[in-house]
Amino acid sequence: MVMTRGRGRGMRGGMMRPMGPGPHFGPKMKQFVPRLPFDMVLCESAFPRVKPAPDESAFTQALLKRNADLSPTPAEQAAVLNLVTKIQAVMDNLIVDPGNFDACVSSQIEEVRQVGSYKKGTMMTGHNVADIVVILKTLPTKEAVEALGKKVCDDLRSQEPQEVLVLTMLPNDRGFEISNSEATVRVLVTTIHQNLRKLDPELHLDQKILQSHLAAIRHSRWFEENAHHSTIKVLIRLLRDLRGRFEGFEPLSPWMLDLLAHYAILNNPSRQALPINSAFRRCLQLLAAGLFLPGSAGISDPCEGGNIRVHTAMTLEQQDLVCLTAQTLLRVLSHGGYKQILGLEGNSSIASEMSVWDGVVVSALEKAYEKPPERPPQDDDTDNMDADDDPMETTDN
Amino acid sequence: YTFEFHTATALPVYMQQTSQPAATVAAVKTTGNTWQTFKKPGTMQGKTQKPKAPPKPQQLHYCDVCKISCAGPQTYREHLEGQKHKKKEAAAKAGPTPSRHGASLRCELCDVTCTGADAYAAHIRGAKHQKVVKLHQKLGKPIPSTDPVVVGGTTKTSTTTAGATVGAKTTTSGAAATTGTLTAADGKKDDLKDDLLDLKEKDVEPVGQEYIEEIKNEEGKVISFNCKLCECRFNDPNAKEMHMKGRRHRLQYKKKVNPELVVEVKPSLRQRKVQEEKLRRQQPGLHQLREEMWRRREEERLLEEEERWYWEERRRYEEECEYLDWCRRYPRGPPGPPPMMPPGMPRPPFMPGMPPMMPMRRPDSSDDRHVLAKHAEIYPKEEELGAIQKIVSNTEKALKMVSDYLAEVDAPKEQQVKPKAKKEKEDDSKGEDDKKDGEKKEDGPPRMLKGVMRVGILAKGLLLRGDTNVQLVVLCGDKPTRTLLDRVADNLPKQLAVVAMEDKYDIQRVVEEAALVVQNIGEQRISVNVTLTSPIMREQLLHDGDSQVIAAKDPPDVLDKQKCLDALAALRHAKWFQARANGLQSCVMVIRILRDLCQRVPTWGPLNSWAMELMCEKVIASAGQHLSPGDALRRVFEALASGLLLPGSPGLLDPCEKDPIDAASPLSAQEREDITASAQHALRLIAFRQIHKVLGMDPIPPPKFQRGGRFTRKRRRDNSTGEGNDSEGGDGKKDKKEDGEDSKMDMDKETK
Repeated sequence: MVMTRGRGRGMRGGMMRPMGPGPHFGPKMKQFVPRLPFDMVLCESAFPRVKPAPDESAFTQALLKRNADLSPTPAEQAAVLNLVTKIQAVMDNLIVDPGNFDACVSSQIEEVRQVGSYKKGTMMTGHNVADIVVILKTLPTKEAVEALGKKVCDDLRSQEPQEVLVLTMLPNDRGFEISNSEATVRVLVTTIHQNLRKLDPELHLDQKILQSHLAAIRHSRWFEENAHHSTIKVLIRLLRDLRGRFEGFEPLSPWMLDLLAHYAILNNPSRQALPINSAFRRCLQLLAAGLFLPGSAGISDPCEGGNIRVHTAMTLEQQDLVCLTAQTLLRVLSHGGYKQILGLEGNSSIASEMSVWDGVVVSALEKAYEKPPERPPQDDDTDNMDADDDPMETTDN
Repeated sequence: YTFEFHTATALPVYMQQTSQPAATVAAVKTTGNTWQTFKKPGTMQGKTQKPKAPPKPQQLHYCDVCKISCAGPQTYREHLEGQKHKKKEAAAKAGPTPSRHGASLRCELCDVTCTGADAYAAHIRGAKHQKVVKLHQKLGKPIPSTDPVVVGGTTKTSTTTAGATVGAKTTTSGAAATTGTLTAADGKKDDLKDDLLDLKEKDVEPVGQEYIEEIKNEEGKVISFNCKLCECRFNDPNAKEMHMKGRRHRLQYKKKVNPELVVEVKPSLRQRKVQEEKLRRQQPGLHQLREEMWRRREEERLLEEEERWYWEERRRYEEECEYLDWCRRYPRGPPGPPPMMPPGMPRPPFMPGMPPMMPMRRPDSSDDRHVLAKHAEIYPKEEELGAIQKIVSNTEKALKMVSDYLAEVDAPKEQQVKPKAKKEKEDDSKGEDDKKDGEKKEDGPPRMLKGVMRVGILAKGLLLRGDTNVQLVVLCGDKPTRTLLDRVADNLPKQLAVVAMEDKYDIQRVVEEAALVVQNIGEQRISVNVTLTSPIMREQLLHDGDSQVIAAKDPPDVLDKQKCLDALAALRHAKWFQARANGLQSCVMVIRILRDLCQRVPTWGPLNSWAMELMCEKVIASAGQHLSPGDALRRVFEALASGLLLPGSPGLLDPCEKDPIDAASPLSAQEREDITASAQHALRLIAFRQIHKVLGMDPIPPPKFQRGGRFTRKRRRDNSTGEGNDSEGGDGKKDKKEDGEDSKMDMDKETK
C-alpha cells in the first residue's frame, strides 16, 4: 500500500510528463492517456467531400512566393557558407593539434558540429546567422570560452589578414559570436555529458544552456534523418515568418515549429508528403483544435526519452495564446484572408481585432485561461480546481 | 448401392461444375471403381472394413460410417457401441434426410449437408473436412470431388452417382444442372424453383460491411468480428463473409439501414402451406386468407415494436441512472478491487475484450463528472417519459384502428379495381417478402394507412427534460391527400376514446404541415405531431425521368410535397441513428448535451439537429477508440474548432440522401463562423478546466472522500506536503490532479 501511494504522490509532483502518447501503452498506463485532438487529415475517410475541394492554386502560389521572398539570396548563402567553412577549419585544426591551444587556455575540443537553421536548410533572408556547437572535453569556464573565441578569431585573422578589420568576436553566455560584414556564426559551447554534473554555476556556463546545446545536436541529427523533405523546409520557413509577425505565436520555439511542420506534412494515412497548401492549413487546424493545449497528446519530443510533450515547455497562458491566435487565423484563412496571414497585404491586427471578409464578420477570441486566485506566483499553471482543494487541506490539518 | 441409396430416398444428385485441383480429379479417376465400394459400406460393414484397412504398418481403426479413425481396437469398439455411431448408422440406413430448406449442398466425403455454397465452402476449408481427407489419403481410400452435391427437396428424378458425374464433369456446368433439374422435375416445378432460389440467395452481394467491427487484441491483430446490426460475434473471417450474405443479417440491414434492400424470402412453414394450398386450389378465396395473415402480422409487429421501444427506453434509462449513481457513490472508483462496471450491470457476454456500453475503464476525469452531472440534469424525469410514452402509444393504437376502419370502409369498393392482379401473381413466385414496406406485392386492396413510425427525438431517444413535442409518421399506401387527412382526423378522436377512455385528447389538423397534432388535455401538455407521408412521394423523386407523367396523375388535394419528403427523411434519420449513433459509446450522451447547448445558447441555435447528430457520430466514431463522455465532448469541440463547419471543409455528407448533400447546408457563412468561434472558445475553456462554463452549470468541486475510508487520513497528509510540487510546468489539467486522481491511481495499482 505504502509503495503504491508513494508512487502516486510522485506522479503528482510532475512525473506525469513521461506518460506521453506512447503507441503501445499497456493496461498499466491507463491513468492519464492524453489524446490527440481531432485531425481532419487522419479521419478523412469519415468525412467524404460533399463538394469537390475548392481551387487553391492562388493560395499555393502565394505560399511559394512568400517562401521565395523569405529564402536567403545566393550572396547571403555564399557569405555564411564562407565564414562557417573557415571557422570549421580553424576548429578542426584545434582538434587535430590541440597542443598549441591547450598551452594557452587549457581546454580541449571534443567535437564541432553545425546545427540550427543553417544546417537544416531553413535559413531566412536578412538573418544570416549560422550556429555551430563546440563540445569541450574540459569544463566550460567563462574564461576558457572567451579564450577559445579569441584564439579562433586570431587564427582567422592570421589566415586572412585583409579581414582583420571587419572580423569581430563577441562572447556571450552561450559561447561567442564571430561576425564579418555579411554573416555571423554563433559558436555555442557545451561539454561532454559526463561533465554536466560537475558544473559550478559560479564558474561555468549555465547548465540549462549547455544541455540545450547538446539537444541542438540531436535535433539537427533527427532533422537530417527524418525531415529532409523540401516541403517541410518550406513550411518551417513560412511558420517562422508567421511566428515573427503574429505576437501570439511568440511562445512557439523553433524546435516546436520544426516538429509541427514535420507532423503536418508527413503524419497522414498515406505517409506521402502533403502539398504545402494543405500542410499550412493543417498546422493552423491542429493548433486550433488544441494540439498544444493541456490534455492533448501534442507532439512528443523524438529527441528526448520518456515522451516529453514539446508544448509543455510553454506556460498554460502561452498555450492558450498560441491556440487562440491559430483559431482566429484559421477562420480568417477559411474566409479567404491568406494574403493577410502571409503578410503579403495588411498587418497582424487580424489576429487581435475584428475583421470583415466578404460580408462575414470574423471576431478575435478572448483568453480562456484564468490565473488561479490566491496562489503563490510560481504556481501560475495550476488552476482553480486545485484552489478548490485548499479549504479541505487547511481545515483538516 | 450408391445408386439405390439415392434413388431410394428420391434425391436427385447434381454435380456443380467448379474448378477442381487436377490431383483430386486424377485420384478419383484412377479409383473410379472403388468409388462405389467406398460409398457402399454404409452400415454394418464397418467391422469388415477394419482388416482391409491397414496397408501400412500402423494399424488404423477406421469407422466408415462416421468417417473417423480410432486410436486403438478398444476405442474403436467403444465407438461402435456409442450413441453417436448408432445414430449415424440409423441415419445412413434411412438415407439422408431431406433438409428443411429444401435444397442444400452435400459433402459426400463427410456426409455433411450444408445450406448454401458459402457454408459448403467453409466446410471444405474447415479442419474437420481436411482431417477426413487426410485420413482417407492415409487409408488409400478414394476422395470424391470437392464439388458439392445439390440435394433437392422432395423431387423424384433419375439420379446420377457422384462418381459418374465426376467422369462427365467437363460437360456439366452449374447452369446445365439447373436446367436439367427443371425439366426433370416437371411435377413440382414451383417447389424446385423455390429451392433454387434458396441456393441463389447465397450468391447475393454481401451488405453492411461497415457495421462489422473488427475487434483487435493488444497487438492490433484482428481476433474477431462484431456485427453491430445483428449484435453477434464471430471469429472466422469466412464466417464474416457468410454472415454478411446471410438472411438474418440482410433482414437486419434492411430494417436498420436500407429499407430498399431486397431480401429473398425464405417461406416460413405457414407461408409454404399457404402456397401449397394455393397451388392445389388456385382459388380466389386465398387472397382473403392472405389479407388476414398480413393483418395479423402487422399487428404483431406493432406490438413488438412498442414493447421494444419501451424496454429500450427503460434499459437506457436504467443503465444511465445506474451509471450516474455509481459515479456518485464511488467518485473515485469503488473501494476494494474495483469492478469495471457498476454492480448489477452485467457485461455483455459477447464482447469480453471490449469496454461495456458505459465508460467504466478509466475513472472519470473532472470533465467526465461535469458532463455526467449535466446529463443527469437535462435527462427527462421518469414521469415525463411515462407521460410521453402514454400519449404516443395511445396515438399509435388509435391510428392502427383508424387504419383498420379505413380499410374496412374502402374494402368493397377497392375489390372491383384489380387490374394489377396478374402482375402481382408474378411477384408471388419470388415470395411475399416484407409486407411491411414492400406493399406493392400485396395481393388485396392496399390499405390507405400502412403503418405508423416514431421519428425525431422520440425515435432517437434524445428527449430532454421539458420536451413536450414528439413526432410520428404515418406511411400511406398512396400519396396522402387533404381528404385522407380529414378522414383520419375525423376518425381518430373516436378511436382515441376507445383506446384511452379516461384521457382526453385534442386533435388539430395542420394541413400545411401535412400533419395533425394530438394533444392531451391536462396540466402537462404534450403534443404528438402525426405527419402523413408515403414512400411513393420519394420514389417519384428518385426516378425523375418520368416524374412529369406521374405528377400529372397526382390527386388535386395532395398534401405539401416537401413536408411529406421531410417526414420520409426523418424516418431515414431515425433508422440511421439507431444503427450508427446508438451503439457508439458516449455518442448519444454528447448529442443530448449538444441539443441542450443548441437550445440554450443563441449562437448555436441555427445548427440543425440532424447536422449536429451526424457530426457528433462522425467525430466520435472517427476517434478509433472508445471515448469517455468528457473526451467525446471535447473531441466534438475540437472538430468544430479546427474548422469542420467553415467554408472549404469537406462538409457533412448526408448518408440518408441519394445526392451528395451537406447536412449543414442551411447554415449561413456568418452562422458557421460564429459557431466555430464559439466552439474554439469552448475548447479552450474545457482545456483550462472551465467546462462548467460551457455546459452552463456550477463547477463541481472535486470529490472529497469522507466516506471512502481507508486512504482518507493518509491522503490528506500526503496532499498537504505534496501540494508544493503541484507547480510542475504547463503539463495540462490532468497532471495537476485534484485529490481524486491519486487515489484512482492507487485503485489501478491494486487491480494489477
